[in-house]
Amino acid sequence: MQLIEKLSILADAAKYDASCASSGAPKRSSEGKAGLGSTDGMGICHSYTPDGRCVSLLKVLLTNFCLYDCQYCVNRRSSDVPRARFSPEEVVTLTLDFYRRNCVSGLFLSSGIIRSSDYTMEQLVRVAKLLREEHDFRGYIHLKTIPDADPALIAEAGRYADRLSVNIELPTEASLQTLAPEKTIVSIKQAMQTIYTGEQTVLNEPRAPRFAPAGQSTQLIVGADDTDDSTILHGAEALYGNFKLRRVYYSAFSPIPNSPKSVPLAAPPLMREHRLYQADFLLRSYGFSANELFKGPGHLALDIDPKLAWALEHREVFPLDLNRAEPTLIARIPGIGLRTTQRLVDLRRERKIRFEDLARMRCVLAKAKPFFITSDYHPQQAESNSVLLREQLRDRPAPQQMGLWG
Amino acid sequence: MISLECDNLFSTWREQARWLLSHQVDPSQVSWGEAEVADLFATDEPIPEGLGPFQARIPKALLELLESAACYHGDQRWSLLYEVSWRVSHGDRTAMLAGDKLGSELQRRIKQVSREAHHLHAFVRFIALPAEAGPELPEYVAWHEPAHDILKSASQHFVGRMGRHRWMIATPLDGVYYDGEQLIHQRECPEAWRQLAQNVDDPHSAMWLTYYSHIFNPARLNPKVMEGHLPSRFWKNLPEGKLIPGLISEARTGKQKDGQAKWVGGRPGKKIANPVTVGAGLPAMAVGQAE
Repeated sequence: MQLIEKLSILADAAKYDASCASSGAPKRSSEGKAGLGSTDGMGICHSYTPDGRCVSLLKVLLTNFCLYDCQYCVNRRSSDVPRARFSPEEVVTLTLDFYRRNCVSGLFLSSGIIRSSDYTMEQLVRVAKLLREEHDFRGYIHLKTIPDADPALIAEAGRYADRLSVNIELPTEASLQTLAPEKTIVSIKQAMQTIYTGEQTVLNEPRAPRFAPAGQSTQLIVGADDTDDSTILHGAEALYGNFKLRRVYYSAFSPIPNSPKSVPLAAPPLMREHRLYQADFLLRSYGFSANELFKGPGHLALDIDPKLAWALEHREVFPLDLNRAEPTLIARIPGIGLRTTQRLVDLRRERKIRFEDLARMRCVLAKAKPFFITSDYHPQQAESNSVLLREQLRDRPAPQQMGLWG
Repeated sequence: MISLECDNLFSTWREQARWLLSHQVDPSQVSWGEAEVADLFATDEPIPEGLGPFQARIPKALLELLESAACYHGDQRWSLLYEVSWRVSHGDRTAMLAGDKLGSELQRRIKQVSREAHHLHAFVRFIALPAEAGPELPEYVAWHEPAHDILKSASQHFVGRMGRHRWMIATPLDGVYYDGEQLIHQRECPEAWRQLAQNVDDPHSAMWLTYYSHIFNPARLNPKVMEGHLPSRFWKNLPEGKLIPGLISEARTGKQKDGQAKWVGGRPGKKIANPVTVGAGLPAMAVGQAE
């Protein structure tokens, strides 16, 4: 099979993985050196495909032959898809070619499970090792980690890769049993623990060999089972706490060809995915906890963002006086982000904040208006009740034409 | 009214601004223009030589902001910077901040400039010259059309990225060439560089185009988000740019039902035999060979 045909099949097989981040790597440069590549901590999106997703890395599978039968996966063994396998050298050639063209900032390599977990992991590590040692490649490398692989192999992967990730795949053990019978939550978390331990070991040891300096991430599929958002985000919060994950990626389940009956054949729930990312951002950067976002089991609202939902439930906190309030509370005002908060704090050191100042900053004024006070403004809506306010502030989807067949 | 010309050089503008501030020249009394475009209202007032009595203090942080905003192409490119300097040196530091009317325009320009530098890092596409081109020519060339004056500073990024390789980026205004040891910037891009960058053949582009088409998931079609990140003005210089309309229309006409690309769907598939399971629910390891 020609290399170009393999690339078609193995890129097509890799598109369901959401992450393409190339950020968080330490500063590396090839200035005046043999070899190729640099990283500086900032990711670069070299292109965007018409699905609005960024192309930052060459994201491919080493092979889409797979012994497992995960129902949500296009590459499961019972799926009737064309199969292909790259040699490690072929992946190296493609990575370097795309990198020299400035089409990507590195490689994100994953694989179907062939022969055994250890054998598959060895093959992935071999690609990274070739790039780093034979070609002096200093660009970004993200390796998918096979859960049951020998910890020694994971440790070796960590020496070459900037980021490692083990996919948690589904939010609950029960779903995993039904949809991914060969995978277990125990082995997935063991692999996460191995990576976490590896990171901790080199922490504060400047002379130790590097270990996945851009940390670990994971992905879970949303909408393939019926788990609610509350369970998903409580799970994510635990992962951030227990394994210090850099990111949890949420991938709206995208219908696959020859779909088995066990998973939905519906359009991917993109708005739900979007709300989960918003809520996840509140956990990571705004100091929210999952318990604050959910009063019990259930989903996030689709028609309002999670920060607005929280504010409507906590009217006693608002309206906040922007000239006095703590920055962490200002950042909890709907429509006002971290950057605007910082700008407000900078400005109020110089003078009183007025209403028109907010119009000039990048915030969503319509959403923020009921929740703040300035020296010349007090919201009329401060007294109106949350149900009414929600009705005024919720997103109204553009009217959709009904499907011809209902 | 004083009419000045700084050849679009920050260092020249800075000397002029220092002089103007020291003579307490009000921002409404000065304008900058191109040498050949004389200001309609400009009069040739006698300009005193030497610095005036007023000691203007410009904080270092502001100087950095001004230098960055100076790369912005647009109306009032230089006079806006002078107005900000005037206000800050007279004790009004809000002129630097996003909450202020003038400050927000300053910050907006800085943001546009840094975005454009990022666009250079992301959207430059190097094409290899044939190996027999020789050591006098670059190994990789690119044609790029930035909206602001970012090439000189932002192209430093590629020195770290490309190692000892020789490369060149030509633009409608300026150009840079890295000869393997040092970065050479030409304010006026030599015609030969332009020719080289715009006429180079790319016989090996099929791999990248194939990858781009196949990593796209038609079931998640969302061209609006794409255009927000990848403004259409860049499409014409990106090899994948010409694929975009076709991928969108193919997705709209039926490919949206699942994520698979048409070509892959048309190929014969292969199911894999169920391997022997090692105990209930345990991973099927060390069994068989799938390939």
